[in-house]
Amino acid sequence: MAVALQARKPPMGGIGKRVAYYPGCSLEGAARAYDVSTRIVAKELGLELDYLEDYNCCGAMETKNVTFWGTMLLNARNMSLAKKQGHNVIVAPCNGCSFSLQRAEYFLETDKKVFERINSLLKEGGVDPLTEIPHTYHILEWFYHEAGPEKVKERTRKPLKGLKVANYYGCLYTRPHFYARTYSHTGTEEQERPRMRETADDDEHPYYMEALLEAAGATSVEFEPMHTQCCGGPHSLSDEQVSEKFVMMILQTAKRNGADIIATECPLCHASLEMYRHRLMMKGVPDVDVPAAYFTQLLGIAFGYSAGDVKLKDNLSDPIPVLKRLGLV
Amino acid sequence: MAIHERSLVDPERILRKERLVIDGIDVSGDWNLIILPRVIEDYDLSFLDEVLEQPEGKTILQCYQCSYCTASCPVHNYWDERYNPRHFIHLARLGLIDELQKRADVMWRCVSCHKCTHRCPKGVLVEEVLKAILRVMAKRGIIEEYPSKKFDKFFLESVYEYGRIEDGELLFGWIEKQGYQVVKDPVLKKPIPFMGGVPEWLKQLAIKPIKNMNIGFLILNAKHMLFHPRTKNWNRFKQVLRKVMEEEGVFAH
Ligand code: SF4
Ligand code: SF4
Ligand code: SF4
Ligand code: SF4
Repeated sequence: MAVALQARKPPMGGIGKRVAYYPGCSLEGAARAYDVSTRIVAKELGLELDYLEDYNCCGAMETKNVTFWGTMLLNARNMSLAKKQGHNVIVAPCNGCSFSLQRAEYFLETDKKVFERINSLLKEGGVDPLTEIPHTYHILEWFYHEAGPEKVKERTRKPLKGLKVANYYGCLYTRPHFYARTYSHTGTEEQERPRMRETADDDEHPYYMEALLEAAGATSVEFEPMHTQCCGGPHSLSDEQVSEKFVMMILQTAKRNGADIIATECPLCHASLEMYRHRLMMKGVPDVDVPAAYFTQLLGIAFGYSAGDVKLKDNLSDPIPVLKRLGLV
Repeated sequence: MAIHERSLVDPERILRKERLVIDGIDVSGDWNLIILPRVIEDYDLSFLDEVLEQPEGKTILQCYQCSYCTASCPVHNYWDERYNPRHFIHLARLGLIDELQKRADVMWRCVSCHKCTHRCPKGVLVEEVLKAILRVMAKRGIIEEYPSKKFDKFFLESVYEYGRIEDGELLFGWIEKQGYQVVKDPVLKKPIPFMGGVPEWLKQLAIKPIKNMNIGFLILNAKHMLFHPRTKNWNRFKQVLRKVMEEEGVFAH
């Protein structure tokens, strides 16, 4: 069961209104709609994103399988750049990016040898070594704690009335707790975790996205346990059979639970849902036609922006007809 | 008798008669089933040492075989019950290399969802440990080049070269690696998405932004495909990357 309304954490602040923004490669390419709408939402909520200049790819879930040290270096370089820009907090809108940075954070913090070796390698590569390790947050966590549902409600000019949303978090937003620092908000599961972070979302029943979208007037449909089921992720191109099955389960659950739209918070999940949705529909598989939109796009619409402003046309699954039907665009 | 995790028992070691009558009593059904025992002689403990040498493999010894990881695993639950992270850890620790090899066809299928790692009560970084096991297997040549590894390497090449990846190039490059005929322009040798023998679904998807007259999107992605986004000042850093990767033997296999 989802976390009850009363048990939800109130926004705590403390992360900082101005943070280093690590968009990741996808957001500057195929997922530009997420980038554009994220900036809109941040602006509306009175938060400031400081673009991380000259960053490099985090390596996602791919490079780590080939090279441990290489992947550590890629992420340490980004951390060092953030420090150089004067930030202690990095915010990433992508599950893959936040995972990679948080994974590096884990190894750097818990293994002194890794920390020392990486620092000397950074120096060798012409990058400032790390004196302190900046912390990475997923953008959802930042929005929730630095702005929160109240602020979203305040900014909403065109409530998402009647829009039934399936909130899809993907795997790595809350997992594994070693990296994401999540824990159980209701105390039903093991709670004592050495690295848990007060502001992190509930580990098995995340709710920050639905809290924000509900504040904007949308209705969430029941979506557990598919809300954190994997879409096939790093294997979405290399293992098509498994990915197709996983996405089918996700889409069908959303559809059968009455969702009009799936809200996403990761460009990789989003791409993989849209790609396989299309393929499944071509095959004539039933109940897979729910379109997907980034949660920031939906918030943008609620804040009074147009479909063009949040680049809804970029979504290959075409959510415009659904939103039109409800008079939202 | 019900056999727990029956897929782990070799079928030829399960003996079962259609009908069995002992002392005039019919004991057919589950009661007449016998599993032949076996003696293991062919273990190799240096395998475990090699896993422990990998920074990600260090937590393997904490495992107490509760199987929470397997119970959580979507590949085990929704795809193939032969995919069993708990069992892979067990085999790696015992050094049963031929048993691992028998499972090489499913072992690569982990989708890195980290349900296992997240839920493990003993703090084993299960997903990481499994990847460490795979790496040792690859080093020893007991697992063939599998699709996801090919993709990982392909991805890494792009990051290594430019510091960044580009979705379009990754997608079409991968499709081409699969043996599809991707048509390229003669000058810059960049793929033209809607031509050639690429899969139908991809053609249809690629044409959507054109149908929608989504000009901004087309220009941005065309630009990126022509001029791969790069990280500035990458060269010096690249040397260091190369050095550590060489040490890890990335270029060797
Ligand atoms: S997760 Fe993907 S988009 Fe994010 S930086 Fe890594 S490769 Fe780029
Ligand atoms: S759902 Fe898929 S893309 Fe999203 S985090 Fe999980 S594996 Fe990655
Ligand atoms: S959950 Fe952890 S302790 Fe249990 S079998 Fe899996 S790895 Fe071992
Ligand atoms: S990370 Fe891999 S082994 Fe672990 S639960 Fe996911 S698919 Fe299974």
